[in-house]
Amino acid sequence: MNRPSALSAPEKVSPLKRDPALLPALAAIWISLAVFVLYPVLRLFLMTFMVEGQFSFANLGAVLDSWYDRQAFLNSLWLAGAVSFAGTVLGYIYAFAVTRIPLPSWLKWFLGAVTTLPLISPPFTSSIALTLSLGPNGILLKFFGIENFSFYGFWGTWMSETLTYFPVSFLTLAAVLSAIDPNLEDAGLSLGASPGRVFRTVTLPLSTPGIANSVLLLFASSLADFATPLVLAGHSFPVLPTQAYLQITGLYDLRGGAALSFLLLLPAMGVYALQRFWVGRKNYVTISGKTGSRSGFKSKGKLAEGLVLGVCFAVTAFILYLYSLILWGALVKVWGVDNSMTWENFRYVFTHGRKAIADTLSIAAVATPLGGLMAVVVGYIAQRKRFFGTRAMEFFSMLNYALPGTVVGIAYVIAFNEKPILLTGTMTILVAAYMFRYHAAGIRAVIASLHQIDPSIEEASASLGAGAARTFFRVTVPLVVPAVLMGMRYLFIHCMTAISATIFLVSVKWSLLTTRILECMTELQFAQACAFSVVLILLVFGATAVLTGLTRFATRRISGEGGRG
Amino acid sequence: MSRLRVVIASLLLVAVMAGGAFASGELNAYTIMPEKYASQVFEAFTAETGIKVNFMRFSSGEALARVVAEKNNPQVDMILGGPADTYEAGIKEGVFEAYRPAGADGIPDKFRSKENFWTGIGIIPLVFLTNTKFLADKGLEAPASWNDLLDPAYKNGLQMADARTSGTATERIYSLVKILGEDEAFAYQKKLHQNIQMYTKSGAGGAMPVAMGQAASGIFYIVDALDIQQQGHPVVISYPKEGVSFGIEATGVLKGARNLENAKKFMDWASSKTFAQLLVDRKINYIPTRGDVEVTNPALDLSKVSLVEVDVTWKGQNRKAFVDRWINEVIK
Repeated sequence: MNRPSALSAPEKVSPLKRDPALLPALAAIWISLAVFVLYPVLRLFLMTFMVEGQFSFANLGAVLDSWYDRQAFLNSLWLAGAVSFAGTVLGYIYAFAVTRIPLPSWLKWFLGAVTTLPLISPPFTSSIALTLSLGPNGILLKFFGIENFSFYGFWGTWMSETLTYFPVSFLTLAAVLSAIDPNLEDAGLSLGASPGRVFRTVTLPLSTPGIANSVLLLFASSLADFATPLVLAGHSFPVLPTQAYLQITGLYDLRGGAALSFLLLLPAMGVYALQRFWVGRKNYVTISGKTGSRSGFKSKGKLAEGLVLGVCFAVTAFILYLYSLILWGALVKVWGVDNSMTWENFRYVFTHGRKAIADTLSIAAVATPLGGLMAVVVGYIAQRKRFFGTRAMEFFSMLNYALPGTVVGIAYVIAFNEKPILLTGTMTILVAAYMFRYHAAGIRAVIASLHQIDPSIEEASASLGAGAARTFFRVTVPLVVPAVLMGMRYLFIHCMTAISATIFLVSVKWSLLTTRILECMTELQFAQACAFSVVLILLVFGATAVLTGLTRFATRRISGEGGRG
Repeated sequence: MSRLRVVIASLLLVAVMAGGAFASGELNAYTIMPEKYASQVFEAFTAETGIKVNFMRFSSGEALARVVAEKNNPQVDMILGGPADTYEAGIKEGVFEAYRPAGADGIPDKFRSKENFWTGIGIIPLVFLTNTKFLADKGLEAPASWNDLLDPAYKNGLQMADARTSGTATERIYSLVKILGEDEAFAYQKKLHQNIQMYTKSGAGGAMPVAMGQAASGIFYIVDALDIQQQGHPVVISYPKEGVSFGIEATGVLKGARNLENAKKFMDWASSKTFAQLLVDRKINYIPTRGDVEVTNPALDLSKVSLVEVDVTWKGQNRKAFVDRWINEVIK
């Protein structure tokens, strides 16, 4: 990768020689990737393509022969496209409101807090609230007098997934938008451009890495989500991850499930390649160390602001309404039959669910800092130290994320249930599953924010005599701290709420809150499921509030330093 | 640099940590029986034997997928609950250990595995579960025949399980095939499909929508239907006059169990009269396989219900063909 560098250009020293710390770091990353990403996937592929000791396409062929599975493939792409589009648009609107419109800080906090609700609750919980509202005989349908709305299928799944995943887009885009130097926009305005033109020609192009990032994350999330379609898609709108799950758990067909997930891998990789191509070729540096002090953001025009805020408030109100349904469900004795208030459901959670709560918190507490560290190292090497193998490293770091969770779970069970690496039934396997699956957001964020930071800042440190590790910890890390914290928050939330991979990895020793909620749902304990969800949401909310506070603190520090630069 | 190394070394250390072994005097189990019932069953077992039980609840498909995947290093010693056909599928994978429990003689042969791989502890027939408000609105009686569900009044109102994922759904197909013959059974389901609102992934998944009035009616195992009724929802349970088949809830020991003796003790206990009485006393809605306990819940009195006997081996042999036919003929 060519960049303006006074140090490396003339000498052509290999990056390994220049940074002695790189070798042990690379070795550690490659070993852990080999064990927790490559090896399980390899075992899974062997299961897909080896039939009785022979290489064979029989398993894949069987899948492609089925009209239902072909339909599922197309539906998955269509759904993921629709979700990533709608989610990114919504996320951008929210990010724009929070970073560009002068709102009172409590209102910003409030908008941010409400959008985390869908993110920090397991998807099937909001699915139930949506079903009660918009499903057959739903509350909102009755209220608005709508009949014959076919909720089960595409519409319900699309709505639920968009609501669940747009906060990811919001978090990603808010980080990127707030990092764009407002002086650039001001320059456009003072040169006489209309606010709309400045947005089109300055703000939007500069946020491209964030948009690409968001589209990729949402596309992959939707592509891999099995819980939402499980509850909402029904038989008329099959999607691949649910089909893979059904194949494994319903038909006891691990090979068929593996083959289905192989199909799923192709579009995921396609999006990944597209994203590399699209974002990788432009220069988005806006923190260069040479800027003057940052000015405040100017008004963007009343109509545009009103429209943006209108959308935000409508969506926020809808989310609040959905979650008050869940709170209500947790507090009443029997929904719709006996509406008297009771604490009984919460008592159940803190007696029958205490072990699950403790286990989940311990796992999240271990996985989050480890995943954050991994993200910053991988992201840094991938973006700054381009040489042989870094692209492969980045690819393998993302692989578990691109694979549907069900498949990762089954692959882990196959790989780690026998020697040489015996891990089933331990906490390690759960921590590893979460870490290597959900540090992807952190890596993406680190890469995106490094895209915006001119390498000359690091080179200045190096030319003043600091070693590579010192430069990394003293210069690079502080600059990407908001991105890392964002990634850690994402990781923590998923440790608390994700289910698709880990449902196969929980054991009698280590259980999880999400699996308990799903159990309550399948066992018809609706009120208990709601109470579990409320407790889970409060726990995650408390923990993420701390991480958000840290992010804000770190962002402010960077802006301040940029000003002095 | 050294700091980086230390951090990464600790990262690897955590990553390579392996789990500890299970202590003795314990029993580890997967349960397919709902947690709220299983916790009572295991509590009673611990009270009687002093053996501590660690357990985890899964759907039948997941539990089977897990024990098959864990075959070379079993994490648990036994499975409690779940339909006998799941156990039959597991026998093919070689995951079960044969054991003839002490109380086997009290349980009819048809409720036990021929090779003693599993023992039936309770039976659960299929029932119709219908929302009473829906019936009142439409001026209908509770459905009393499979054909009643074809009434256009139920259009877009039925929720029942998807045959690809749910044992409840395959049980429904077995019932229909035994009553109507195979071709007729699929012709019937094609007609029934006109009234379907959604096929749910889990067997009980449609019961809550029926309870909430989002769906009108559906076909469920009695254990789920009674649960909903006992919670106080406005629902009615009825049986088709043509008959229904029933599932056998089983239990069995896994091959390679680390606490084999304790697992066998559980099998002995689960096949005893004490256990059957426990099901009745705790209102766990299975009908005990042992004939020597009196079922007190009138809802579980099946003397007026026409039950269709379906051989478990036949179920296992036909399952895949029926599911394929269901996908290609009914829902296409």
